Amino acid sequence: MIPFEYLRAGDPAEAVAAVAGRPGAAFLGGGTNLVDHMKLGVAGPDLLVDVSRLPLDRVEETAGGLRIGAAVRNSDLAAHPLVRERYPVLARALLSGASGQLRNVATTAGNLLQRTRCPYFQDVTTPCNKRVPGSGCSAAGGYTRYHAILGASEHCVATHPSDMAVAMVALDAVVAVLGPGGARTLPLAELYRLPGDAPQRDTVLEHGDLIIAVELPHLPFARRSAYRKVRDRASFSFALVSVAAALDLDGGLVRDVRLALGGVAHKPWRATRAEAELRGGPATEDAFRRAAEAELAAARPLPGNAFKVAMTRNAVVATLRALAEEGR
Amino acid sequence: MKTETRTSLGVGASAPRPDGALKVAGAFAYASDLWLDGMLWGATLRSPHPSAWIRSIDVGPALALPGVFAVLTHEDVPGAKFYGLEHADQPVLAVDQVRYQGEPVAIVAADHPETARRAAAAVVVEYEVRAAVTDARRAALDPACPLVHPGGNVVRHQPVRAGSAGSGAEVVVTGEYEVGMQDQAFLGPEAGLAVPADDGGVDLYVATQWLHVDRDQIAPCLALPEDKVRLTLAGVGGAFGAREDLSMQIHASMLALRTGRPVKIVYGREESFFGHVHRHPAWMRYEHGATADGRLVYVKAEIVLDGGAYCSSSPAVVGNAASLGVGPYEVENVWIDAYAAYTNNPPCGAMRGFGAVQACYAYESQMDRLAAACGLSPVEIRVRNAVSQGSRLATGQVIDSPAPLAAMLGELAAMPLPGPPAYAPSGSRRQGGSGARARGMIGTREEPDPRRLPGGVGRTTRGEGVRRGVGYGVGIKNICFSEGFDDYSTARVRVELLGGEPHALVHTAAAEVGQGLVAVQAQIARTELGVDRVTVAPADTSVGSAGSSSASRQSYVTGGAVKAACEAVRRRLEALAAADPGLSLGELLDRYGPVEETREYRHRPTVPLDPVTGQGDSHTQLALCVHRAVVDVDVELGLVKVVELAAVQDVGRILNPLALEGQIHGGSAQGLGLALLEEIQMRDGRVLNPSFTDYLIPTILDMPPMRLSILENPDPNAPYGLRGAGEPPTLSSTPAVAAAVRAATGLALPRVPIRPEDIALAHTG
Ligand SMILES: Cc1cc2nc3c(=O)[nH]c(=O)nc-3n(C[C@H](O)[C@H](O)[C@H](O)COP(=O)(O)OP(=O)(O)OC[C@H]3O[C@@H](n4cnc5c(N)ncnc54)[C@H](O)[C@@H]3O)c2cc1C
Ligand code: SF4
Repeated sequence: MIPFEYLRAGDPAEAVAAVAGRPGAAFLGGGTNLVDHMKLGVAGPDLLVDVSRLPLDRVEETAGGLRIGAAVRNSDLAAHPLVRERYPVLARALLSGASGQLRNVATTAGNLLQRTRCPYFQDVTTPCNKRVPGSGCSAAGGYTRYHAILGASEHCVATHPSDMAVAMVALDAVVAVLGPGGARTLPLAELYRLPGDAPQRDTVLEHGDLIIAVELPHLPFARRSAYRKVRDRASFSFALVSVAAALDLDGGLVRDVRLALGGVAHKPWRATRAEAELRGGPATEDAFRRAAEAELAAARPLPGNAFKVAMTRNAVVATLRALAEEGR
Repeated sequence: MKTETRTSLGVGASAPRPDGALKVAGAFAYASDLWLDGMLWGATLRSPHPSAWIRSIDVGPALALPGVFAVLTHEDVPGAKFYGLEHADQPVLAVDQVRYQGEPVAIVAADHPETARRAAAAVVVEYEVRAAVTDARRAALDPACPLVHPGGNVVRHQPVRAGSAGSGAEVVVTGEYEVGMQDQAFLGPEAGLAVPADDGGVDLYVATQWLHVDRDQIAPCLALPEDKVRLTLAGVGGAFGAREDLSMQIHASMLALRTGRPVKIVYGREESFFGHVHRHPAWMRYEHGATADGRLVYVKAEIVLDGGAYCSSSPAVVGNAASLGVGPYEVENVWIDAYAAYTNNPPCGAMRGFGAVQACYAYESQMDRLAAACGLSPVEIRVRNAVSQGSRLATGQVIDSPAPLAAMLGELAAMPLPGPPAYAPSGSRRQGGSGARARGMIGTREEPDPRRLPGGVGRTTRGEGVRRGVGYGVGIKNICFSEGFDDYSTARVRVELLGGEPHALVHTAAAEVGQGLVAVQAQIARTELGVDRVTVAPADTSVGSAGSSSASRQSYVTGGAVKAACEAVRRRLEALAAADPGLSLGELLDRYGPVEETREYRHRPTVPLDPVTGQGDSHTQLALCVHRAVVDVDVELGLVKVVELAAVQDVGRILNPLALEGQIHGGSAQGLGLALLEEIQMRDGRVLNPSFTDYLIPTILDMPPMRLSILENPDPNAPYGLRGAGEPPTLSSTPAVAAAVRAATGLALPRVPIRPEDIALAHTG
């Protein structure tokens, strides 16, 4: 670790000013990702501005929806009665991530902004465009089991590891940001970038942009929603692929649907093509399969992750099938 | 002498371990907790490359940092520059070449651990990267493969030849099998504290498996006589073979001697993955020939083990793979070639099961194929070929103590199977939900407890696509060191009056690595001496060698030494009592003072395998374990839930039931890990997952409840008739789980660990 200074910000504006004014500064949430990266030499901020104790730790009811403070701990969010009632997909996504101990410290904003688990990104002795722009991508021709099948570029094939974010993207979440230029909101789906030729940038946030909240809109049918996560071990491991889904049925037809995929792309992947395919159609296993296949038609698997295409399809079908059965 | 009433907590009792409560409470002092005022912290600079020439090393920038006391390279090694368990081929610090990623190049001592790490990073090393040799099969078998060491890439080739090759079989099955690189995954990283002594020597407190073999390797490198290198065992947080080789011992001692200050080194978790050997990955080709009714006629096998960059214990691992390569089965004609090869992968060496694990996975997979080909059940094929007392192994060695394999299999197969799957089959899927709700699980819908289903709390299924499978595995493991090794332990036992009460002090150098040996030593002393109050002194080199805490040997060998020393003490006490009848033990001790005896204990001698024929009585004791695994597999997603593991093991004599069950549970879990989860991911000689976030060991959700039956057929050659117990369960659980997954899926699955994609892809393409 290189030496750094530590500042506990008193309010959001102070935090933003402190980071914006120093190119090497970074916000610190629970530190479960950033501090690991500092130890590994992946990150080397010279100033840590601790935002985990800002008064952003509340979950508030809005018109039919929820506003989740950026500093709300993952475990508190998962346990929140309104989350469990209105957005079970989110509670389950949270509970399927990391471990109890980690969730007790990890924050909402930190979870959204955790970085890829690509092994080369974490190994500072190997080239990686995301860590050192222009140095090359070691995953090309290397180990790609955890890597992307959708939306990757020749410069980077990494995936975003968050479970929570997949559920939030499915729920049309909106992110509230306070930046040096003031406050703004943007859809969570637009926060994340595809790697393109600038894989060093995971999101569209600028230096000094502080996430202060995530807003979940009113979405009554999300009461029937589910998160399924396929992984190597029964607990405490990252997704190979995951599915967040909410299903609104009208008899045997799909009135509306939300579908997002994890573990398949540089960002939580909103499956808009599959959704379009499903809306208004029959809620049958065949239709679910066709929708999944429509979404995955664009998949470009790598030598080490070809299995993800079938696995994702099967996971989507199984998730929707279970939701449909419950609706009957 | 009037012996007081028989003690409780002697041999056979679940005597509590002195370290147990402390460990559970987080109060146990591990080696990483060692502390001396004024000590310095050591750090190690490691090679980022699997293979490179070192063109230059500049320690100047590191030395210039404030707080840095020493920066040492190979030039500063006072004595021998190389060390090793079997061959001294491993540099203390890389000389002109690095042969694996993570090889130590320079060491630093500083007044703060972070300063030491930064100083290590400031050392400038110029490398000229070379192509890495990473394919062990090429290294072993292709003469055109570049050499990792000048003497050739084959560390050891051990053939076994018995009978004649390939005659008269009516059924032939062949298979190629692969085992990935498993890590011991102990929780306490490598750690120790070296203290410079006034006599020019060094006192080293370290977490290790064998103090004396450490000393024997450290002293020549420090150019010190052995009596000036004194080791004391510090708290060990697991070992499983990974502490047999040296890690930081010489480095900390060098820094302490150079700076004149105590120096502590603790590896971080990531560093630990580079700081110890791993289990050899293996490629195995097998051919089994049998009669139509399933009796083995011949077995041919080629076993290639990846030894990595240095020798470590690879030769002995090859000896095990070769000599136990057909498993506990009777077969006349055997043709085995086992190899270990040097590569630029991490050095591989000892890990629980030691060469027998890899072969067991292959021969058991073959037995299942043979069963299918002969139309027999997995149990029946094994029973028909099972060894028993009097059987001859492929090496010509006769099993001369009880080996009731057929009966063990019968007992295993007769155990009740676990209840129906945790899920309700389709149609009645809503059942079982009330339980889930009663346990306060999230969500409002009714569904089964996901922890009992494949995919666990990822909630990937509620029963759809789930199939059950049952599989069996059998393993045979040599106990104690084999092939002519002078394998002994030493115990000093002293009986005296303390506070007016008879008290026994047991002193050995045997390493408590978590297996419960401290408790067992005390139990033996209580039983042999009839004394309740027993203390086991800290293990150190002021008493003779105890040998290694490996090869499931300590209860046998150190247990034997403690027993022998106690018997010698008892004989002297009895003589005193005879001369002075009517006195109690306390009165005798009061009158004559303390009685102390030291004894060495050796097991029966063994011989090396013949280098051409592989014949010879190479093992002193053989142990059997059998497992049945029941799994539920979600074939759509490739996820496996092990529902139950059942095991039957013959341990000869139970010394401590609780500790023994812990050993069987733990060994079974480690075997389950190898079957489904645990693999160090290597690419081009680089370790890709050096963390417990990315190297996956089973959690309590992955490990099922176990059903155990423990048999006590004594081995007349061993103390109390006991049979070493720690390793055998690690062998047989892996093939049992793999076989169960095969039974559920119908897939060949020739490689462990089995990954979800191996199942899901095959099923849904
Ligand atoms: C062993 C292990 C297993 C894990 N398994 C999973 C898993 O299965 N699924 C999963 O989803 N996750 C998993 N995680 C990741 C875990 O969820 C994240 O580490 C955690 O959510 C990060 O939150 P944090 O508050 O600790 O973030 P930090 O580490 O504090 O910060 C992460 C990033 O966010 C930035 N940041 C923090 N707060 C703000 C803010 N308010 N505004 C702007 N930027 C901010 C920081 O500067 C940093 O770049 C695992 C982690 C570990 C260590
Ligand atoms: S995939 Fe992305 S993160 Fe991984 S090595 Fe390539 S550039 Fe780096």
